[in-house]
Amino acid sequence: MRKLISLLLIAMMMFSLVACGSNTDSTAPAETTAAAAETTASAGSTEKEVLNVWSFTDEVPKMVEKYLELNPEFAAKYEIKTTIIATTDGAYQPALDQALASGGADAPDLFAAEAAFILKYTQGDASQFAATYKDLGIDVDAKIADADIAQYTIDIGTNPNGEVVGLGYQATGGAFIYRRSIAKDTWGTDDPAEISKKIGPGWDQFFKAAEELKAKGYGIVSGDGDPWHAVENSSDQPWVVDGKLVIDPKREAFLDLSKKLKDNGYHNDTQDWQDAWFADMKDAGAKKILGYFGPAWMINYVIANNAGDTFGDWAVCEPPVGFFWGGTWVLGSASSEKKEAVGQIIEWITLDTSEQGLQYMWANGTLNGPGGTKDAVASGKVMSISNGELEFLAGQNMFDVFIPANQFANGKNLTQYDETINRFWRDQVRAYTAGEKSREAALEDFKQMVADNLDVTVE
Amino acid sequence: MKRRKNISYAKYGYIFSLPFILAFLIFSLYPILYTAVLGFTDYKGLAATSWQFLDEPFKNFELILNNKSFRQALVNTFMIWTMNFIPQILMALLLTAWFTSRRNKLRGKGFFKVLFYLPNIITAASIAILFYALFSYPVGPVNSLLLKLGIVDEPIYFLVSKMSARGIVAFIQFWMWYGYTMLILTSGVLGINPEIFEAAEIDGTNGIQTFFYITLPNIKTILLYVLITSMIGGLNMFDIPQLFMQGGPDNSTLTTSVFIYNQAFSGSYLYNRAAAASMIMFVIIAVFSAALFFLMRDKSEIQIRKEAKAAEKARKLANKAQGVI
Amino acid sequence: MKKNRSLLFKVTAYTVCLILAILSVLPFWIMFVNATRDTFQIQQEALSLVPSSHLFDNLKILLGKTFDPLKGLTNSMIVSVASTLCTVYFSALTAYAIFAYNWKMRKPFFTLILAVMMIPAQVSVIGFYQFMYKIGMTNNFMALILPTIAAPTAVFFMRQFMMASLPLELVEAARIDGASEFYTFNKIILPIMKPAMATQAIFSFVSSWNSLFLPLVLLTNNDKYTMPIMVSLLRGDIYKTEYGAVYLGLTLTVLPIFIAYFLLSRYIIEGVALGGVKG
Repeated sequence: MRKLISLLLIAMMMFSLVACGSNTDSTAPAETTAAAAETTASAGSTEKEVLNVWSFTDEVPKMVEKYLELNPEFAAKYEIKTTIIATTDGAYQPALDQALASGGADAPDLFAAEAAFILKYTQGDASQFAATYKDLGIDVDAKIADADIAQYTIDIGTNPNGEVVGLGYQATGGAFIYRRSIAKDTWGTDDPAEISKKIGPGWDQFFKAAEELKAKGYGIVSGDGDPWHAVENSSDQPWVVDGKLVIDPKREAFLDLSKKLKDNGYHNDTQDWQDAWFADMKDAGAKKILGYFGPAWMINYVIANNAGDTFGDWAVCEPPVGFFWGGTWVLGSASSEKKEAVGQIIEWITLDTSEQGLQYMWANGTLNGPGGTKDAVASGKVMSISNGELEFLAGQNMFDVFIPANQFANGKNLTQYDETINRFWRDQVRAYTAGEKSREAALEDFKQMVADNLDVTVE
Repeated sequence: MKRRKNISYAKYGYIFSLPFILAFLIFSLYPILYTAVLGFTDYKGLAATSWQFLDEPFKNFELILNNKSFRQALVNTFMIWTMNFIPQILMALLLTAWFTSRRNKLRGKGFFKVLFYLPNIITAASIAILFYALFSYPVGPVNSLLLKLGIVDEPIYFLVSKMSARGIVAFIQFWMWYGYTMLILTSGVLGINPEIFEAAEIDGTNGIQTFFYITLPNIKTILLYVLITSMIGGLNMFDIPQLFMQGGPDNSTLTTSVFIYNQAFSGSYLYNRAAAASMIMFVIIAVFSAALFFLMRDKSEIQIRKEAKAAEKARKLANKAQGVI
Repeated sequence: MKKNRSLLFKVTAYTVCLILAILSVLPFWIMFVNATRDTFQIQQEALSLVPSSHLFDNLKILLGKTFDPLKGLTNSMIVSVASTLCTVYFSALTAYAIFAYNWKMRKPFFTLILAVMMIPAQVSVIGFYQFMYKIGMTNNFMALILPTIAAPTAVFFMRQFMMASLPLELVEAARIDGASEFYTFNKIILPIMKPAMATQAIFSFVSSWNSLFLPLVLLTNNDKYTMPIMVSLLRGDIYKTEYGAVYLGLTLTVLPIFIAYFLLSRYIIEGVALGGVKG
């Protein structure tokens, strides 16, 4: 044993020298390999160049595909390689970060980020990886003014130097999306104007409605994740201010709101994005539920896909509190060798207001032929010439609700840590509502989780 | 003639072990030392390119040791390991006793062995996700089963309760490993000299006595081997807790490996703290291993010593032979 | 009296074994069945023991995601086979070096191997990742394969096996015949080592096939994803739930191993048992 220890000690000393030495010149080999990778890429230049696209849904990759379809000469030069990793398990960010940091031929050229973590890539720890739209060859200021892009989209997408590095294509002001038949059965009407007065304004009114629904055997929402998004993005302060954790009173009140929902059986106690939550969209859950909180994308990309036989039985109205939720921003990579190509795609997605532009097709559901899903988009100019009527909503024009809702969208209560902190918070809220721990303990443990896992000060 | 051979052959010992030594130095020792060094630095943040030693060298270690989540992770790791290992070893022993019983020969042993070992070969990632789906709430196969059998009136939210989440992870570990343990113990028993059992039978011991007084003492080293490998595996548990609930709910299935992964590769990229946590784990494992190694020592140590003696003897003999010639 | 007892023993033993056997198979059976059911059926009634008819619908959904089981299988196969070969060959070689030659450092070296056995890979993962990152070996299978050359447990096991069943006279005889040392090892020693190598091959293959931690950290290019990484990403699919497809994805990852296992089960069980005796 003694021999072993002395051997290890000698080895340790030797290698600590090597370790220290290697630190000084360690960047050199990485560069050579990156360079080597590039030469192999350009050596095969008779073949198409590869554009790496990273996203957390298939939305952006499908857009890129469409762009190639519309621009054959572009498609002749480039081929797309997509990587899609869902954010459900928090897996997207670590993978994307490592791909960006590793660089080389496999690094993303174009990547998408969601509201819950976009700030990290535009203003936070990973902002050095984002190319400015100017560098991508986009005349960004003039284009933004022309397209009348929603201000919050620009605020979020601007880096600390005041340059735009990311823009969204959606407008994500929120509404309450409900089932017409259930509203009619409970209140005798399914008129959005009437229903918005039943479920709001304010949470007190919301719970009154929940009680009335309960009497009829319905739930008001599927799980506590539904009101959470309304709470989260109607709060005044973000989770972190000046490197310190802040629990906004409105977010703290979510503990009580969630508890009340659970204790009174106002919902099916599902978790958002889990199987049972989707099941409630087509009445496959324990009891039927009135509706969901969400922006326009929620209707087309989530509910419509999972609605089954309830198609056409839906409507949107003003929510009890104004909020916004989500949205996807598109960024180009600063290290990309194909900035011009990336810029062309990004400009088409975020700033092109023509009828051949992405946003027009996106708003009018013509991206993949007529009759497709519609969404509210970032460009005011496009919105003004678009039609939000949906058969899924029995002909209601959803833009009537969503355009005013966009005033609640702002980037002021976001942080780069939202995805992680939200996960901790929701975890604690769930433990509290399930009776696993007291309210105080849940708050304490939440603070502890943030302190232990993130570089954030907790008082 | 003979001497030349002796000299020339020894070098093959070095040559043949060279690949191992190189791979070990490059891929094991260097990273371990590098990790150790990082634990004393300010190296953090995504794609950080340089680091400096901290003014207070043990700052990271202090932070980690005072980190409640890390302590919780340590407690969890031991708790989950114990909850899995005790039933696992008991079940494996019971099955071993049955399968090696000389009085009551069971049929279909081979068939059962194949099935019991089955969970061990399936990708842990698949198993974690499968069990997550099985235990989902409010609708999921296990809840359906319990409702159907009338055991419960309403679905149970398994994955929100700390103890049941830990229990499920421990159960998965048990389920994956008891077959392996059983196979190893069985083969150990089969390796015992049958004469010992025959003698016992003549003395009139019953099956239970035989098991406790003859079988168990004779497989002591194998039991220790199982204990050590299981402990090292248990202290490094990652796949199941990470994929099952990402260490949740409420940190209840957070193991130290998941903690280290989270520190280093998600959130704030605190490589330095993760390195410090790794080193703390290293020390813990080293202490445990040393203790168990000490217990296991008798067999291999004696063997080595014996060999050394034999080698010495051989050399003396060879010298003598040379002297004679 | 004695007969009754023996009967009671058999009833208990068979019942317990049967329950355990069901426990081993049932989760996989539920998985297979749910892979053939559509989302609505699963949402309505999560437990069913009878397959339904939506296998191909689920397959279509699954392939519509960026889930490419064939690629995952190929990648996992490359890594696992190469790792297994490295482990088995170099461990045998190293064990032979310790066993057959009398060199100065052999005792400390063997002690070192025993000590390294205790060090788990996770401890050094931070340093390992940083090192690989700096020399540009992320997204390179070599970063997963080369370290398996140094597999202390396998060396230890092989040495024990050699001591038990490899007579040194054999080596002497080969030398007299004028065979080179390397030739002796490859042509004479290795064939004798077959059972031990088979055992280690199984362990090494299974652990490499199932490994998630290192690949997850090192591989970011989805062309390089191994099966466990693909599986770990399977559950996440925002916007739409397709549990039938998730179950099918799991089934596809499990199926090749299932087939291989049942074909080889006899040898595998024997191999593991051998591991117990010697280890």
